[in-house]
Amino acid sequence: MTLESLRVAPGPVADKPAARRPADEVALIHDRLRAQGYISSEAIATALFVSQRLEKPMLVEGPPGVGKTELAKATAAVTGKALIRLQCYEGLDEAKALYEWKYSKQLLYTQVLKDKLADVLSGAEGLKASLARLHEFDDTFFSEEFLEPRPLLKALRHPGGAVLLIDEIDKSDDEFEAFLLELLSDYQISIPELGTVAAVVKPIVFLTSNNTRDLSDALKRRCLHLHIPFPDQALERAIIRSRVPEAEERLQIQLVTFVQNLRQLDLKKVPAISETIDWARTLVLLHARELDRTLVETTLNVLLKFQDDIQRVNEGLTDLLSKATSATR
Amino acid sequence: MTQVLGDFIKALREADVRISPSEVIDAEAVLGLVGYDDRALLANGLSQALAKSSEDKAAFWDTFDQFFAFAAFDQPPPAGAAGDEGEQQETAQGQDGPEEGEEGESEEAGVSGMASSGGSGQGAGKATGQSDSQGDKADGGGQAPAAEAEPASLGEQLAALLEKGDAAQLALRLAEAAQQAGLSDIRFFTQRGMYQWRILQLMGSEELGRLVEQGEGAADPAVAARARRLRGLRTKLHEEVRDYVERQMELFAGNEGRRLREDVLARQRIGQLDRSDMKVMQGLVRKMAKRLVSLHSRRRVKARRGQLDARRTIRANIEFEGVPFYTIWKKTKVDRPRVMLICDVSGSVAQVSRFLLMFLHSLHEVLPDVRSFAFSSNLGEVTELFETAPVEVAMGRTMQRYGGSTDYGHALMDFERLAMADIDRHTTVIILGDARSNYGDPRADILKQIQDRAKRVLFLNPEHRARWGSGDSEMPRYAPYCSRTITCASLRDLERVVTDLVRTAA
Repeated sequence: MTLESLRVAPGPVADKPAARRPADEVALIHDRLRAQGYISSEAIATALFVSQRLEKPMLVEGPPGVGKTELAKATAAVTGKALIRLQCYEGLDEAKALYEWKYSKQLLYTQVLKDKLADVLSGAEGLKASLARLHEFDDTFFSEEFLEPRPLLKALRHPGGAVLLIDEIDKSDDEFEAFLLELLSDYQISIPELGTVAAVVKPIVFLTSNNTRDLSDALKRRCLHLHIPFPDQALERAIIRSRVPEAEERLQIQLVTFVQNLRQLDLKKVPAISETIDWARTLVLLHARELDRTLVETTLNVLLKFQDDIQRVNEGLTDLLSKATSATR
Repeated sequence: MTQVLGDFIKALREADVRISPSEVIDAEAVLGLVGYDDRALLANGLSQALAKSSEDKAAFWDTFDQFFAFAAFDQPPPAGAAGDEGEQQETAQGQDGPEEGEEGESEEAGVSGMASSGGSGQGAGKATGQSDSQGDKADGGGQAPAAEAEPASLGEQLAALLEKGDAAQLALRLAEAAQQAGLSDIRFFTQRGMYQWRILQLMGSEELGRLVEQGEGAADPAVAARARRLRGLRTKLHEEVRDYVERQMELFAGNEGRRLREDVLARQRIGQLDRSDMKVMQGLVRKMAKRLVSLHSRRRVKARRGQLDARRTIRANIEFEGVPFYTIWKKTKVDRPRVMLICDVSGSVAQVSRFLLMFLHSLHEVLPDVRSFAFSSNLGEVTELFETAPVEVAMGRTMQRYGGSTDYGHALMDFERLAMADIDRHTTVIILGDARSNYGDPRADILKQIQDRAKRVLFLNPEHRARWGSGDSEMPRYAPYCSRTITCASLRDLERVVTDLVRTAA
């Protein structure tokens, strides 16, 4: 699995006629992700293909638990690059996201400098000469040595490139969003004391958002946008088959049908793929071979996170169960 | 930029998807990457570059289907012809259903709309040759050989295409003609006829008409029969073109009429609106509310000068051995305004009240703390009603419970009893009504108390300022105790008030 297949060498794409047709490349990405246990839809594979080729960050939106973060992880695994993750939250600032100075070391340095000052200035006469001497002296106070890189800087300086995952960008503040713009459009970052740091190898950037608020147009403009919806029946089955292979075929079909029908109900929190996987694992632990009423009733809390929802589903359980079991008949 | 992409983006913008020039450049890059071969690939790729929210995505898929659908000329093309049109790719893919394949064709038709006319002429010549080889009996005349010797006239080419029923070629011709006629600039439905005529002329229909007339007059029965058949085909072509123009109009100007109507409705006095407009109005209110929410949903922080943030100051000044060169001050989150809304729901102002109530309660994300009261003579709190039930239901119940003849004095007394204690210096009190109290005691003293406690009091009156104070209007007695009195009759006025309210938070 070479890197070249997923990202071509830098330079305009148009100059170099692609060896394969785009559709084949998308299929290839799909297969590679599958090998990592990530079953992608066609839209996801296309998105990955396009964003890699255009070297643009990808903004991934969708309900919680549909595999937004997993996509970044799987991409890191496929490309063999390091995954660098930055979790966003309210109050996140550049000192935590980009860089910080190693203050204690800097303090020590000033102490040492003080002691050395006499040596440096020995022989200089008058203020002018002393200042000239000081100017000759290297200033290392603000230098790479005292720089503590945080995720964003790490991603830019990572030899061989990295996969940068900026998770839940919608949780961060406005200022942080604005601060990201330079990184997203030019893959570089300005540090006032040092100057501009450009990427060694352009990282593959994913931003995820749960849509708790609208992101700014400026941010959206710099990214390609992928919306991952809840999977359809076939895709969800493929995911369960790959993630929980120890579940029996019959059980897989039934539980996926059950969850698919569950999503049609008006619930506070609709179960996502991650919940389906958890539920499948739970059922396997209980040595279930097919769904039955008591089993579902006792394990429903894995799937649903609100008591209201559980009650609501319990009321319509007979119907949901009969739909699920009839799928295997 | 290619014409097709340009037109597509035009159609998307018409569907209210906002697209910036840089996104157009991205779309072009995507197009260069994935090409027109695979419909799904194209759609997925473009959707990433052009549609960046879930509503935009929905609009994108609708427009994409409409734009690249091409149901015209739905006669099945002859089996042999499909192979010759360079469609092997489509059929070879196999995974596409038959429908996909056909739509793939139309895309190509759209793309080669850019192709030189020489190319299409060649294609038409080939087509004529084919129809000849198929041994069409009526095609006996010297036309086919003539077409091979020199490019046939537009009318004859069209005749040949129609007789052969070559859907792909006809679609291609139609797309070319539409582009030459500048169909994507269509704005109003009155322009349909003109565009239809222009397209038909460019396709050679006029000339075909002359040919048909000549043919029908001919002595040879075979020629006359062919002419009659051609007349039928020509009529059908006219229908196809009309439908095509109609679809394109929907695509490029579908929203124009709606926008105009919404604009007029927003300016009109709410009291004079027709019942049938209510639905549009509600949609409009929702849209305005949404815009306000997205504008103001971020919480603002205000520096509280005077309180040092010790932790962050030390951190910022560590490089100076802790000597505070830079000071960092504590910040506070700005509170959202608290709003109390008192609405007159008597017949004269009920409609305005309806929209204000609806407006404020759809701003929940920005104004989480809205309490509303409704009155005619008695006043009661309706907050929960409007928060749980749909507006229509809530409004109905409110009218039922609190409707009747108006008595401002009584209503204010009720309000004093119910909510006076909850008014503090963060509260904005909004009163909506015409202040016509049927000559009862207006109790302006209560309003004074309210003003003393509240941050501000806004009085919205749907009547024109000139009528304030006439007859039983108590407006002059209330006005001194209001921070502002505003004439508020149309949706625009309402929007202005609400925007102001949201902007001047705490």
